Amino acid sequence: MGNQKRRGMQAVLAASLGLTLVLSACSSDNKNNAEGNNKPVNSSQTAAESQSPKLEPAELTWYYPQWSTQPETKEVEEAINKITKEKINATIKLMPTDGGSYEQKLNTMVAANEEFDIAWTSFWMFNYAQNARRGAFVELGPLLEKNAPELQKLLPDLVWEALKVDGKIYSILNYQTITNKEGFLIQKRFADKYGLDPSAIKSIKDIEPFLEKIKENEPDIIPFGMTRGGNFENMKTTYNNIEYISNEAIVGIYRDDAGAKVMDVIQSPEYKEYLNLMHEWYAKGLINKDAPTVKALDDRKKAGQIAVSFHNVLKPGREVEEKNASGGQDIVLVPTSEPFVGTNTIIQSMQAISQTSKNPERALMFLNLLNTDKELLNLVSYGIEGKHYTRISDDTIKMNENSGYNPNITWVFGNTFLADMQEGQDATVRELTLKENEEAKSSPILGFTFDPEPVQTEIANIQAVNDEYGPPLNTGAADVEQKLAEYIEKRKKAGIEKVVAEVQKQLDAWKQKTGK
Amino acid sequence: MRKKERSIARLLSHAVLVVVAAVMIYPLLLVVSISFSEEAAVVKNGYRFIPEQFSLDGYAAVFKNPGILLNAYSITILVTILGTAAGLLLTAMIAYVMSRKEYRYRKATTLFVVFTMLFNGGLVPFYILIVKYLHLKDTLWVLIIPYLINPFYVMIMKGFLDRMPAEVIESAKIDGASEYRAFFTIVLPLSTPALATVGLFISFIYWNDWWLGLLFIDQDRLVPLQLLLYRTMNTIEFYAVNSQHLSGSVDVTKFPSLTTRMALAVLGAGPMLFIFPFFQRYFVKGLTVGSLKE
Repeated sequence: MGNQKRRGMQAVLAASLGLTLVLSACSSDNKNNAEGNNKPVNSSQTAAESQSPKLEPAELTWYYPQWSTQPETKEVEEAINKITKEKINATIKLMPTDGGSYEQKLNTMVAANEEFDIAWTSFWMFNYAQNARRGAFVELGPLLEKNAPELQKLLPDLVWEALKVDGKIYSILNYQTITNKEGFLIQKRFADKYGLDPSAIKSIKDIEPFLEKIKENEPDIIPFGMTRGGNFENMKTTYNNIEYISNEAIVGIYRDDAGAKVMDVIQSPEYKEYLNLMHEWYAKGLINKDAPTVKALDDRKKAGQIAVSFHNVLKPGREVEEKNASGGQDIVLVPTSEPFVGTNTIIQSMQAISQTSKNPERALMFLNLLNTDKELLNLVSYGIEGKHYTRISDDTIKMNENSGYNPNITWVFGNTFLADMQEGQDATVRELTLKENEEAKSSPILGFTFDPEPVQTEIANIQAVNDEYGPPLNTGAADVEQKLAEYIEKRKKAGIEKVVAEVQKQLDAWKQKTGK
Repeated sequence: MRKKERSIARLLSHAVLVVVAAVMIYPLLLVVSISFSEEAAVVKNGYRFIPEQFSLDGYAAVFKNPGILLNAYSITILVTILGTAAGLLLTAMIAYVMSRKEYRYRKATTLFVVFTMLFNGGLVPFYILIVKYLHLKDTLWVLIIPYLINPFYVMIMKGFLDRMPAEVIESAKIDGASEYRAFFTIVLPLSTPALATVGLFISFIYWNDWWLGLLFIDQDRLVPLQLLLYRTMNTIEFYAVNSQHLSGSVDVTKFPSLTTRMALAVLGAGPMLFIFPFFQRYFVKGLTVGSLKE
């Protein structure tokens, strides 16, 4: 009697536990079923009216980074799908992913071979070349003609060259400024007060008298703001046109060098010159004392405490952005180099199509549409007209206060020259940017991306050394003669010669193949 | 003579403990103090123990958009309660079975449990299991299920239950109780110290977890509290370190200021700080659980 009752209870308990697991799996299964599967949506009626009736319905998932949460993304998604269903019979599922964890998440997804269609990529996050070499992306070259003819014509040849990894194209660029220009960012109120003449500043050292004036007369202000990363990476073009091939190993070439000989940047005379200058400035108190340890100066910048800083992307229109970041203080740009272009200045923001996608051609069609259809791009970038933004003129809009959709990351989505401009930006900025894009000096090694695979260990060791010696040296806190010698020694021990040889080898092979 | 030795030794040990305690409390105090300071004063003059300018601005900024924070709180509380309850029950059940001498597969089960403590498949197989085979991605369950049974706590419980006199259970069975009846009405009430300790540990894991959310949660509705904190901090740091690569712009002014971040940290860690003292009396007993075999 007891036994039977016991058995019954056991069975019931076991069954109920098992059922909960299955139920939870089932309920989420329905949600996940739609991911990338070729299930017909309720669009069979519209299929007849669509302009390309031969296309099967498809759903595409699109992963991209977003640094803020937008509560009304769902509504925008619906509006987007109205357009895409009509034009290419596809629905898009927007998957904005938190920017800080984007790289980790996408890397895990690729490693687990998860199904998705489109993902944002670049050289500085979710590394483009690395993942292309891993086989994560579909090769787009042969698909462009049929599925994205407008896009192909839209981007200049220079761009297609830069997008090549080992000769093949794996993504399309979100067209925006592709040039870098180095220079100083100076608070206007100080520039005016102390009579700074921008045209007199041609090299880094030229700004020293100005910094000294600030130090003397403005005790609360930091004359030259620096973080622990130092500024040589930003200043390398100003210092004799150096271009980095590997940011991690700090190895590069002189752009003017026709022979493109690879060298260890740390051993170059320019680097030593920079270090000496920074050491002088630090000793004189022109640089913030905590530079070797601080990672970011945003808070002080917002409080308007930094008089001068240096940046390497002085694109047209930067003043407005910097003004916002500096708590409303006007900023003057003083360039110290001509606009220039290199592989890494171009591949800053792209969309790639995953190998696990079930509809790569449709995904490419969507990207083509996104970069040519103004209405669609405006939707994705700014939201629904009237609800999230108001139109000021034919090509200018203004974001509504407390709008439920204001990601403000048009450069993540698509062609920034196509989307409407925001209030405060003006058409001349756009023209200037396009002009700079076309006229900029190109790098002799455009299209070459170094594959670090063969020297991974050496690069990891070198990075550790960089992290140890970099901050004190680059911010001027350490004594140059002795520390630099140590630094060079340690890098040699970590294997920098091997890395330089490997880079040279790959570069020479690439030059032979492409005949440059 | 002996008295003096003892008091010197005691003085020394007290001194060491005071220093250790101070080192641990110091940063916490700073965080609390900054969260109550005014932003401009902190940026200018650095961190202080007592805020130069007392201000609730940090908290105001956090509560301006309370929706996200309240949602995160509710998710975390829900996950912690559900997870602790279910996890505790499952852990106790496994440990109980493993502690019974009549259980035929005792050795095998112990080996199985200990093995998973030492080895696991790694991140990618775990991810594939959860996403592809169990279809748990982006659901509430994915925040609960992976931590339900922790082999270490199973061993702790088992250690405690080993000390349970078998006679008690036998006498219950003689009186006609089924296994379940014996478990729920006799064993569990007798093991409250162990249950409280393990329960507290499990609830810590659930409360502090951001890893599962990072990997598997996409929709904003299911973001737990610690993940929210992690994202906020990470985004700011990431942008600061990488800003030279960005030709596009990310709106820095929208990022929370220093005081807001500290306020977020206080709100994230606060509740646990309050709950802990209540469980202290069980904690002392529970610490020695399973250590001495009677």
